Amino acid sequence: MGWRLALSGLALAAVIAPATTTHAGDVAFGEYLASECVTCHQRSGQAHGIPAIVGWPQDQFVAVLNSYKWKERDNPVMQTIAGKLTDDEIEALAAYFESLDSNVKKCADQKPPTPC
Amino acid sequence: MLTRREFAKLTAAGTFTAVVSRPALAQAKPKVVVVGGGPAGGTVARYLAKDSAGAIEVTLVEPQKEFVTCFHSNLYVGGFKTMQQITHGYEKLGAQGVKLVHQAAAAIDRERRQVRLADGSTLPYDRLVVAPGIDLKYDSVPGYSREAEELMPHAWKAGPQTKLLKAKLDAVPDGGLIVMVAPPNPFRCPPGPYERVSMVAHALKRAGKTKAKIVVIDPKDKFSKQGLFQEGWEKHYPGMIEWLPPNVHDGVKSVDPKAGTIVTGFETYKDIALANIIPAQMAGKIARDAALANETGFCPIDAANMKSKADANVFIVGDACIPGDMPKSAFAANSQAKVAAMTIRGELTGARTFPARYSNTCWSLIAPDDTVKVGGRYENKDGAIASVEGFISQTGETVAVRKQTQEENIGWYDGIVADVFG
Repeated sequence: MGWRLALSGLALAAVIAPATTTHAGDVAFGEYLASECVTCHQRSGQAHGIPAIVGWPQDQFVAVLNSYKWKERDNPVMQTIAGKLTDDEIEALAAYFESLDSNVKKCADQKPPTPC
Repeated sequence: MLTRREFAKLTAAGTFTAVVSRPALAQAKPKVVVVGGGPAGGTVARYLAKDSAGAIEVTLVEPQKEFVTCFHSNLYVGGFKTMQQITHGYEKLGAQGVKLVHQAAAAIDRERRQVRLADGSTLPYDRLVVAPGIDLKYDSVPGYSREAEELMPHAWKAGPQTKLLKAKLDAVPDGGLIVMVAPPNPFRCPPGPYERVSMVAHALKRAGKTKAKIVVIDPKDKFSKQGLFQEGWEKHYPGMIEWLPPNVHDGVKSVDPKAGTIVTGFETYKDIALANIIPAQMAGKIARDAALANETGFCPIDAANMKSKADANVFIVGDACIPGDMPKSAFAANSQAKVAAMTIRGELTGARTFPARYSNTCWSLIAPDDTVKVGGRYENKDGAIASVEGFISQTGETVAVRKQTQEENIGWYDGIVADVFG
């Protein structure tokens, strides 16, 4: 492939090749992964029938997800979700959901309260 | 100058996107048009507006001012939810930065990259999201038609049809005959017809009309969660439901909406108190007209990013696409929408992108506090969405487990509508 051709395909190439430089506790990566969680667990922290998971301390979040991953807790939805998550992914999620705590508070403090 | 190896390294690390392509794209605010404001389109629009923080102009084209969710419309039929509880406006999406255009999209011009609206005006786009949901193939059931839906409702698009079905159900006398013609694969919400049968039976039972009979004429040999539904039907509604596979009924030969009759290869059903005809389905017209669908009537996509296989500027999300191993469900549509939104932000603003991942769960209510679920995780495998892991409720589960599953079902609804409509 010629150099010019390589450069012209750059934008596309960047999309096809996903960012692989993720590290433990990566909040941006966690936010993407979390889009899967917030279908059921509301980002606002409201909970009816499905528990709220925003603002949990990271250690607790990691422990709970691992307990589903290793099938110590028995909800099949959560076992399936957690079963395929790597340690890095679990830490990224934990970092993201912990970070939401302050956001939720900020939104609540605003007058009038704004949706988060 | 970079060597080719250095270039490859930079691209793989994703840093090049941010350094090089962003200035080139930042000259004009990129435009995304989303056609269709259901779970698929609503989610894409909301995530693009929310995550790009104003860097992308997002326009949602949806003729209706309010959306009635198909999911949980069976709970309305069963008397567990009101119409108001399954109806959602778009105001919050508007407040979160989505430009709302309450008109029908008339046509897509992929050459010029613009959408023509019903009033003749056009919306240009850099990326287009097509999420029109399904259209019904009325003529897949001989004698059925769009006009006939007033007499024999399908109620497979929620709203007035759902109300009509419920009104007709409420008028069924004890001992009355109810016939459902179930759809062939692939169709929206695989467990939906059978959850509906359960909810119809529940409504009849609660009204003391346990002599009523529900016959399901199914073009399929088997159906989603079959063992679970049939166990539940025997437990809660003994003698009320008769499910007939094709080798028993030999196909629907004709329906006569005015006379209220349905003829199969083996039997003629007369004096039907309620007929629910759910025909075969295909992608919404606008997708088919834009040559985005193949011979199946649905639209092929690349599972790496939810792009149409026909056009790299177009994304097909939700029931209109061919979702590989995923079912056509609101959960699946919402999941696919997030992959599309991420890809679009990557292309238009240089945002970080990650490998596509998909998930789904479908809950079905069989009787009060007796709910079952099926679901799984999916990934891109050679361009198709492939199942990685799945789960399903078991027969013989305890009352407590089923009750807990129903609580999840109710919680999921609140979660997903907040995720879709803000």
